[in-house]
Amino acid sequence: MEDWIVGTLSRTLAYSAPLLLATLGEIYSERSGVLNLGVEGMMILGAVSAFATAFITGNPWLGMLIAGIAGGVASLLHGFVSITLRANQVVSGLALTMLGLGLSGLFGRGFEGKPLEATISNVTVPLLKDIPYLGEILFVSQSPIVYIALALTPVMSFILFHTSVGITIRSVGENPSAADSAGINVWRVRYLCVLVGGVLAGVAGGYLSIAYRPAWTTGMTNGMGWLVIALTIFASWNPSRGLLGALLFGALMHLSFRLQPWVAPELLKMMPYGSAILALVILSIGTLKRSMGAPDALQQPYVRGEK
Amino acid sequence: MLKNKCYMTVSLLVIASFLLIVFSGAVVAQEREKLKAGFIYVGPVEDYGYSKAHDVGREHVEEVFPWLETFYVENVAPSDVESTIDQFVNNRDADVIFTTSYGHMDPTISAAEKYSDTIFFHCSGYKRADNVGTYFSGLYQTYYLSGLMAGALTETDKLGYIAAFPTPEVKRHINAFAIGIHEVNPDATLNVRWLNAWVDPSGAKEATQALIEAGADGFAYTEDSPAVLQTAEENGAFSFAHYNPMYRFAEEGTVSGQVSKWGAIYQDILYKVYYGIYTNENLKNVDYWWLLKEGAAVLQAKPGMKINPEYEDELKSATVETDYFGEMSVYDLVMKRLEQMKADRVTFDPYIGPMDDRQGIQRLKQGEWATHDELWQIQWAHPIVKGPWPGEPKE
Repeated sequence: MEDWIVGTLSRTLAYSAPLLLATLGEIYSERSGVLNLGVEGMMILGAVSAFATAFITGNPWLGMLIAGIAGGVASLLHGFVSITLRANQVVSGLALTMLGLGLSGLFGRGFEGKPLEATISNVTVPLLKDIPYLGEILFVSQSPIVYIALALTPVMSFILFHTSVGITIRSVGENPSAADSAGINVWRVRYLCVLVGGVLAGVAGGYLSIAYRPAWTTGMTNGMGWLVIALTIFASWNPSRGLLGALLFGALMHLSFRLQPWVAPELLKMMPYGSAILALVILSIGTLKRSMGAPDALQQPYVRGEK
Repeated sequence: MLKNKCYMTVSLLVIASFLLIVFSGAVVAQEREKLKAGFIYVGPVEDYGYSKAHDVGREHVEEVFPWLETFYVENVAPSDVESTIDQFVNNRDADVIFTTSYGHMDPTISAAEKYSDTIFFHCSGYKRADNVGTYFSGLYQTYYLSGLMAGALTETDKLGYIAAFPTPEVKRHINAFAIGIHEVNPDATLNVRWLNAWVDPSGAKEATQALIEAGADGFAYTEDSPAVLQTAEENGAFSFAHYNPMYRFAEEGTVSGQVSKWGAIYQDILYKVYYGIYTNENLKNVDYWWLLKEGAAVLQAKPGMKINPEYEDELKSATVETDYFGEMSVYDLVMKRLEQMKADRVTFDPYIGPMDDRQGIQRLKQGEWATHDELWQIQWAHPIVKGPWPGEPKE
């Protein structure tokens, strides 16, 4: 039984890492008022460019860097359409997902079915691995990217809630015209937050193709980007709750296979989406709404001088 | 002078007639135009799974027949099949059209009515017409051979199967794998997990991990990526490649594999079309169900390597008591069975009775061979199969 729990938790971490990374990014983007439904597209662009880079140069970390850049560039496209041109964010985000899936398929053609020599392999941390239970879960054969995602969570949470940068982001997302009159460059803040979202989604995709399962397969993100959108709502736009949600969703994913003989996998796989709806319901009930709700100006393009 | 003229005339005549023969020969040769064959794939050619295997077959026939011209369109959903066929017939003068996915069946049949001069072949379906034939390459015999090896190699007596959808094809593969395992290792069980997707590398990875945590140490699968192979190797488990030779993804963990050779079928069909054996009027009963014997399926870890040498010793030292051959090594048994199923007169098939399903219902009587239709529609589960089994028949 102990092994069972330890094994499940260890796998949960591995699967949660990409969810967490992309969710942290999406939280920043949405906190600044820009909904980006293109996560799936940015992730898969990250995945293909990371694989291509690692395959050609033999350097997986360079691959991760390029994955971040690819995700970032893709997100700027969404930024340009939705922030500068003030087009509908939902439409633009959906288009980005389609574009990403298509482009990655096109670029990935030559890399399909190629084994990758240079991967980011799992590490086992000496000493720490001997901590009972926790050591086995956290420090035996885990990817370094998992640690990066875990370390990023408190940092991004602190920035968002305890620094002036965070106040700026949140005020842009809550009331852009007030922020503008206070001298904040609304467009710049939004662009930067969208960029953060894109970079992290790209890195999450890179993790999938050169660390989690080192190979390129067309459409390999397989809906993970949508899970991130649900997770962002579930986490009520809060990085720490994002960690909690990512772990929960990751556990559900792993358990949907582990418990398959006893529990219908469809039930476990739809639970993330179900719980996102549940979270929305709870959030929309009265008093909680103000403290935990969505940014007020989410999905609203900012036009100077308009209310 | 006269003599010279005479010579001149004769030599001119000779040259002229020679040229005539050459040109007429050329004209005759030119008259026989190139045969044009169009292929319609459901997935991307580079999916490294199903559509890739078909495209390897297309490249094979293009190389073999100088009189053949081929073209293809990939990523064709069932709703787009008819318009793709329109384009193949009207713009590219296709003589033969192959539609390669089960979902392409109905649109193929209705397009065939419209273009009665064109020859169609549909893969994996059961509907035929005067100008529509069907074909399929069966991998179940190779799954059985893999099962023999898996039964001998497992130390935990727990094997895993990561399955795509609960279709008769996948169930036929799982059961064949189980039959092989059971033959050499009566204590072993086969644990099945469903992905409900043809391509889901992350799901395949987690499913494999889940079974490894539950004690499984050997795998087979139906999924269009090498995820199971890679994950198994990472954890010191072994597995068998599917559809394409994937040895290079896991050189230690790949024992062997079930590989499709669609080229063998395409070669036979196109040859017979070119020489007028198949026409647009006589395909009503043409159905290819090609197996090991016809070369449409092969057992290999990679081209030129049937079984990974790393596993050879273990397979040779494991012995099994067989009813037919007496005691022999598992390695020899695999080779023997392969020989029996490849022979001109096939003397063995995995699906020979007596065979009960896991509900205890008899499916094949003593000595009875499963028929094509029984295999085509198989729904029941072999007794050593553990885990959910959607659509399991109760009688």
